[in-house]
Amino acid sequence: MLLFSYLLMSGVTTGALYALVALGIVVVNKATGVINFAQGEFFMFTGFVGWMLHVQFGLNYPLSFLLAVAVGFVLGMLTDRIAFRPIAKNDIVSLVLATVGIGFILKGLARVIWGGKADYLSFPPITSPDPIMVGPLMVIPQQLAVLAGTIIIMLVFAAFFRLTRAGKMMQATADNARAALLVGIRTDRIYTLAFGTGAAIAAAAAVLTAPLTLLYPDIGFAFFLKGFAAAVLGGLTSLPGAVLGGLIVGVAESLAGGYIHSSVMELSPFLVIMLVLVLRPSGLLSFRKARRV
Amino acid sequence: MPFGRRNVLLALLAIGAIVPAFANGYQLFVCNLVAIYILLAIGLNILVGYAGQLAFANAAMFGIGAYATGLLQVHLGWPFWAAFPSGGLIAAAVGTLLALPALRMSGLYLALSTLAFAQATQWVFLHWENVTFGAGGFKTPHLSFAPLPVDKSVGLYYLSIVLVVLLYLFGRHVVTSRIGRAFVAVRDSEVAAESLGIDLLRYKALAFGISGFYAGVAGGLYSALLNFVAPEGYDLFQMIIQKSTIVVGGMGSIAGSVIGASIIILVLELLREVKGMQEIAFGALLVGFVLFMRGGLIAVLRRYVRGWEEPLRMTPRDQAQALAQPEARPSAADK
Amino acid sequence: MSAPLLSVGDLHISFGGVRVLQGVNLAVDRLEIRGLIGPNGAGKTTLLNAICGMYRPRQGSIQLDGASIVGRKPSDIAQLGLGRTFQTSQLFKGMTVLENLMTGLHRQTVTGFLSAGFCLRRGRDEEMRTEEEARRALHFVGMSDFADRPATALSFGQQRVVEIARTLIGDPRIVLLDEPAVGLSINRLTELDALLRRIRDQKGVTLILIEHVIRLVMDVCDRVTVLSSGRVIADGAPDTVRNDQAVIEAYLGKELRARHSAS
Repeated sequence: MLLFSYLLMSGVTTGALYALVALGIVVVNKATGVINFAQGEFFMFTGFVGWMLHVQFGLNYPLSFLLAVAVGFVLGMLTDRIAFRPIAKNDIVSLVLATVGIGFILKGLARVIWGGKADYLSFPPITSPDPIMVGPLMVIPQQLAVLAGTIIIMLVFAAFFRLTRAGKMMQATADNARAALLVGIRTDRIYTLAFGTGAAIAAAAAVLTAPLTLLYPDIGFAFFLKGFAAAVLGGLTSLPGAVLGGLIVGVAESLAGGYIHSSVMELSPFLVIMLVLVLRPSGLLSFRKARRV
Repeated sequence: MPFGRRNVLLALLAIGAIVPAFANGYQLFVCNLVAIYILLAIGLNILVGYAGQLAFANAAMFGIGAYATGLLQVHLGWPFWAAFPSGGLIAAAVGTLLALPALRMSGLYLALSTLAFAQATQWVFLHWENVTFGAGGFKTPHLSFAPLPVDKSVGLYYLSIVLVVLLYLFGRHVVTSRIGRAFVAVRDSEVAAESLGIDLLRYKALAFGISGFYAGVAGGLYSALLNFVAPEGYDLFQMIIQKSTIVVGGMGSIAGSVIGASIIILVLELLREVKGMQEIAFGALLVGFVLFMRGGLIAVLRRYVRGWEEPLRMTPRDQAQALAQPEARPSAADK
Repeated sequence: MSAPLLSVGDLHISFGGVRVLQGVNLAVDRLEIRGLIGPNGAGKTTLLNAICGMYRPRQGSIQLDGASIVGRKPSDIAQLGLGRTFQTSQLFKGMTVLENLMTGLHRQTVTGFLSAGFCLRRGRDEEMRTEEEARRALHFVGMSDFADRPATALSFGQQRVVEIARTLIGDPRIVLLDEPAVGLSINRLTELDALLRRIRDQKGVTLILIEHVIRLVMDVCDRVTVLSSGRVIADGAPDTVRNDQAVIEAYLGKELRARHSAS
């Protein structure tokens, strides 16, 4: 039972992390209808930036967090300008390849700037590394920070989409860009906002998690796949779906890793993605429109 | 047409044929690598450029070909000459299975599920240690070309060149036939293709199978070239390299695949010292070409040089070559 | 009295709870030109989509020449001799006009990828025959000069004609046309009218066309079926339908008046 609760807790916290990555994917997809293949590299790169600010430059944690998020936002905006806006009307192949290309540029940059081939950077713990007891469970405070951060971000965005004008404009643009244009929505600004926000979320996730894990340039892709698995499980346009998906992937992975074999953990995104896309493409929580000719 | 496709490619072939005479070991290795990537690029182009299936599993097929060829020799004692074609066929079979998800999704979703599949393949290479020897990889048996009096690297090089020529021609013949047109039909309008009786599953499976075969053959050659097989050669970066070859060369063009692969290998070797620089270069290449030269170098060639068109049917010249008779029909409309 | 070539019986189609077709019956005879009209959203395109296999009905039957085609793949149904054109241009943009037509012969040809790849004699012969026939078809619709133009270089009206030719070249028994006249000028309409008749008379093809251009429907169709809100509200000779109260109320009256005041 103790093992189970430990695995559960561990799964929930990694799940929260996946949920954050998924949120970034969903926000961009909600507004633009596109999956940003560089999302994992946004995560990785801003994590490195946060490390640089906090460890190398000695800025305190909250400030590093904010700056990293700001850098993330800028990265997102740049991606929108470079890779999305000029190609938006073209075919999907170009879009995917362009974002993939940007991801690789970021990965190479990170390798060149911050480390050699296999440099692993460690982020010093922010909160006390000593585990505390929450009921029968043993937790590291940083894990709680990740959980809390995820919930806060999700609530903020849920409110954003439902209550603010900008959020509604984003939804409108995603539904029908032409119609949105016709009613006067500045769709190009919406796209920029979406990309920037998606990247900012990735940055927040990275800096929140950095104390819990090691940073290395190749970390982006694995997180991207898991984040995408979570997002697709929840239905690619549903924010609560992304969180739910993330938790499910995290817990399932943790349990499988604990009870079956640790190597199975790497397999989870593949299984989830294939199963969901083949069996229930609309995901658990949202509905996709049927294709009309 | 002095600088047309036929002449340029023949010239390249002629140069390629005499490379072993004046190249050192490393240069021969690189040229062999070019041949391998040309095979990969042609197969990938058929799948992505012609049939429009945005799949990211080609590197995995490449790996399956390499692993199958190597493991059949190491575990079952097969000779290279049996293991090698089998590797290609196994990769083709696995590739064909990917047509099933391709039926249910397209575009982004297909890209992501094939990407996930590729990850799963990597996982198998890494973790099924009993069979695949895990992260450390394994050495393949030494390849001998006896009774021919050539040493292994030269022999392998010529084998690669011969395969490139054969598979290039095969590819060109397929895309200039009703099969090639069916591929493009599936790419350009699935509903219209179906309304003309084109079975989507069948043709997607064919496209995946063909590209899987090309990648598997390339993998077998690669395993022999390195005398070694390990998981890291078949990862996402490898997939990006392959995508770059067809983006740079030109999608929907067999000749473009040749050009793209050659250039990409050049870039790869020039930058091999710094992996980070390689990644930046490839990323920038992808973004740059997608933004500014969507048709690839082939599109640029076609605008300024005559003789690089690749219609989706046999032109009278092809027909004349094939029939080895002067073409008597007056079809002046073809040019 | 021979059995109808195409018969639809009590067809019900819903999308996520919305009933688009409710109990539609249709019987089209051999060599008939049938018009299918009705206000927007009546379910006309849905009906065509169901017939050619793109949608699976909740309930009902669809028979081609007596054999049921419900639940079969669109490509299989096409192989049985059913052709179709679409509202939006579905020419293959990566091909020339001639190549588009050659693709239309897909179901009549058999060359496989191995025969093609190894350049076997049989494949080459079939390829040459395909090209000849495509050129003939292009000639039938009067567009021989456009053979090597990319499909994207054609005007809208020209694309329409090529699409029809591409559908016809496969020798279908019956063709479903979705708004073939959209965007055509008065002159072109007359040409289309003549073309449709020629297709039926010279090629022996049965036609079903969805149209909003009432003039064309009344002139060229033998019978007209009127759909409204997923049900058939009238079915008969053009003049009968034109004067049917229910039809006038649902649709025709408003359409005619609108068109008269617009033209």
